[in-house]
Amino acid sequence: MEVSSGKKDFVSWFKELWTQHPLFSTLIALIVMIVLQTLALGFDQGSFGEWLSMWCRNWLNILRNNATIGIISLGMTLVIITGGIDLAVGSTLVAIGAIIMIFIDGSQTGLLASAGITGFPAYLIGILMGLLAGLILGEFTGVLITWGRIPPFIATLGMMKICRSVTQQCMQTINPSVPRAFTQIANMRIGGLMFMPIVYWLIIAFIMYWISRNTAFGRHVFAVGSNEKAAKLSGINVQRVKRGVYAIMGVLVAVASVLQVSRIGSMDYANAGSGYEMDAIAAVIVGGTSMAGGRGSIAGSVLGVLIIAVMNNLLNLLGVPPFLREAFKGFIVIGAVLLQKKEKV
Amino acid sequence: MELEMKGISKSFGANLVLDNVDFSSHGGCITALLGENGAGKSTLMNILGGVIDFNGGDILLDGEKVVFRSPRESLDAGIAFIHQELNLINDLAVYENLFIGREIRKKGGMLDRNEMMAQAKAVFDEMELDLDPAAMVRDLDASYKQIVEISRAMMMNARLVIMDEPTTSLTDPEIERVFSFMRMLRKNGVGIIFISHKLREVMEICDTYTVLRDGHMVASGSIENVTPELLAKMMVGHDVRSGKNRISENLGSVVMEGRNLSDGRHFENISFSVRKGEVIGFTGLLGDGRSELFQALFGAAGKYDGSLLIDGREVRMRSTMQAVSLGIGYLPRNRKENGIVKDLSILENGSLVTLSKRRRLGLFIDWKAVKGDFEKERKELSIKMGAPSDSITSLSGGNQQKVVLAKWLSMNPKVLILDNPTQGVDVRAKEEIYEIILALAEAGVAVIVLSSEAQEIMRVCSRCFVLYHGRIIGELEHSEMNEERMMRLATGVEE
Repeated sequence: MEVSSGKKDFVSWFKELWTQHPLFSTLIALIVMIVLQTLALGFDQGSFGEWLSMWCRNWLNILRNNATIGIISLGMTLVIITGGIDLAVGSTLVAIGAIIMIFIDGSQTGLLASAGITGFPAYLIGILMGLLAGLILGEFTGVLITWGRIPPFIATLGMMKICRSVTQQCMQTINPSVPRAFTQIANMRIGGLMFMPIVYWLIIAFIMYWISRNTAFGRHVFAVGSNEKAAKLSGINVQRVKRGVYAIMGVLVAVASVLQVSRIGSMDYANAGSGYEMDAIAAVIVGGTSMAGGRGSIAGSVLGVLIIAVMNNLLNLLGVPPFLREAFKGFIVIGAVLLQKKEKV
Repeated sequence: MELEMKGISKSFGANLVLDNVDFSSHGGCITALLGENGAGKSTLMNILGGVIDFNGGDILLDGEKVVFRSPRESLDAGIAFIHQELNLINDLAVYENLFIGREIRKKGGMLDRNEMMAQAKAVFDEMELDLDPAAMVRDLDASYKQIVEISRAMMMNARLVIMDEPTTSLTDPEIERVFSFMRMLRKNGVGIIFISHKLREVMEICDTYTVLRDGHMVASGSIENVTPELLAKMMVGHDVRSGKNRISENLGSVVMEGRNLSDGRHFENISFSVRKGEVIGFTGLLGDGRSELFQALFGAAGKYDGSLLIDGREVRMRSTMQAVSLGIGYLPRNRKENGIVKDLSILENGSLVTLSKRRRLGLFIDWKAVKGDFEKERKELSIKMGAPSDSITSLSGGNQQKVVLAKWLSMNPKVLILDNPTQGVDVRAKEEIYEIILALAEAGVAVIVLSSEAQEIMRVCSRCFVLYHGRIIGELEHSEMNEERMMRLATGVEE
């Protein structure tokens, strides 16, 4: 008797967590994924130590490869919570990448190199210029959406086309190279391990989490997304909040761009970053943020990125053909939203 | 068509909203259905329209007993319910709206546009209407939209039309157009039930009347035998509850003053002033422009003409941020749409205005201070709630309203505008909110109450303005206030 009542308690406890805490179901999904992935990885190693080290190395790879999307999805979370969307992130990533590369180029043709500035000062200027470009592009998008009253989907669709096309045209004649030292930002080895992108991602995730929960701006983001009218009637500067999220998005894309340039050491202006907007949106949705705005969390989006990343890894380990993997991503996005608590119309 | 509703009763839970009500209407006659807000008019018409069911009584159509389980069945029986919010699709043409859901098709399945246009034209000609069936509904004025919706009902063989306050948002020429259309329908033997608060209009267009009060049928008869004054008296009744208003003797300086305010659409030539420690009221019918007026003065609507003085200094209100920084608070009407943010907690809803002022290191919210502020308001307003982190939707309507009120009190407003402050709250919470309003005035806040309920205005205000069609039609001191007088002013009987 006692055992069965204990069971019942567990079931009701589980049910309550599932329905009350939006992050709980996301976390369960991630745990299931990790278990499956661990099983797929196998236990063929000679010792536990060997197995553990392989498991960890696999994880290091997963996290490092997803740091860029991870950072972008942090900004996307705030954008979507206000009820907006940003389709331009992949293209602005390329545009900002080009700007950074022009500044850091150490060869004779480099903008700063020809003025005699190379090495660390040039990198610093390059990164700052990149961040500034991200801020300006984001703020501009925000102005289009608030002052211009253009729906976010359309404003960012336009920005997406403009940024990539202009970058490609401008970069036809110049072909800046990335100095070896710059690649250390992402590829530096500490104790033989390459994990800096993960560190950047975690630091930014923590900052964004803090902003979203403990600043007036962060709470206003939720208020605007949930009930714009009530927010306005509470004396909240709705337009500034909206401009703010797109500006933050722009800056985070710039950070992602620094990482991308540094990690790869070059940039394919036609293809780099394409599809990032959809990957980031997918991660945010899987993480439990509502497209209707008002509900969501930064922590959820980190879990969302991880779920999709672990699933990719799992499919890879199982030998699922690459063409089919996108389909699984589709399933998981649809499945996640099916499970979410939704309001009746 | 002869309609008779006999002994209709309806209760929501333990609340009896219709008690043995008789109502009748017949073809070729316009019947006015009158009553205050909450008298049961809408419930009665919703029963007739098949929207809700009823507990007792009979509906007879041409002597035959009928039961409507859905709006569809009611429409099939020839009864058309024209709601205040029209059911038209703005981006379709008039003829498409007329035929929506029962489009005429050619053999191949293609729409027969010409046939539909021709039929629509024929109907309009018959009704002596100069209306192009191909025009977009968006481009029509409000009166033509009503006419299109009624025409659609006519094409579906409606013989009885219920019109729920059709003239609320119309201008005078538009009203005249709708009225001449109604007269034409009456000539053709159609019956019309006309719900309105505007007694002058009722006298002009209606043949018979029925008055409801607190769920009872109070009177009915021919319009020829009554005066608008008598109708107003019947709507209000005689059982006036006694409120305990405390009128402050020592008022401070004028904090807010409006001079010749107009926005060219909702309100015109409004001048008023309110002093420190004073409670003034703005009353009138739904759609009289008072909400629009104060939303504009709060910086939440568009531009306005005229001048607004805060503490004697002229300001042009451009945004809600500016209004808040000047010490003005505004509790909006329609709590669900404008007041609460459903995805935020009780605490956050109650501190939304001051969240950006309570900071540590100039950056982070000082949650401890925010909680402290809110706890103080919670005690003062005696809000019944669980944890501050609970969802706002876990509270009852009255407590939600108090949280919204707490949000404004936390900024220590100089002027507090309360738009329909007791909307959707129960009687006890209502009384509590009245006491809070009076206490605020005693503490030196200038309070402006916007309400359609005369009793509410009398309960808390020392002075009130009555609006009619966006203009101030009367200013009453507390000693001059009585429900009949206010009703007469608000319905345009007295000028």
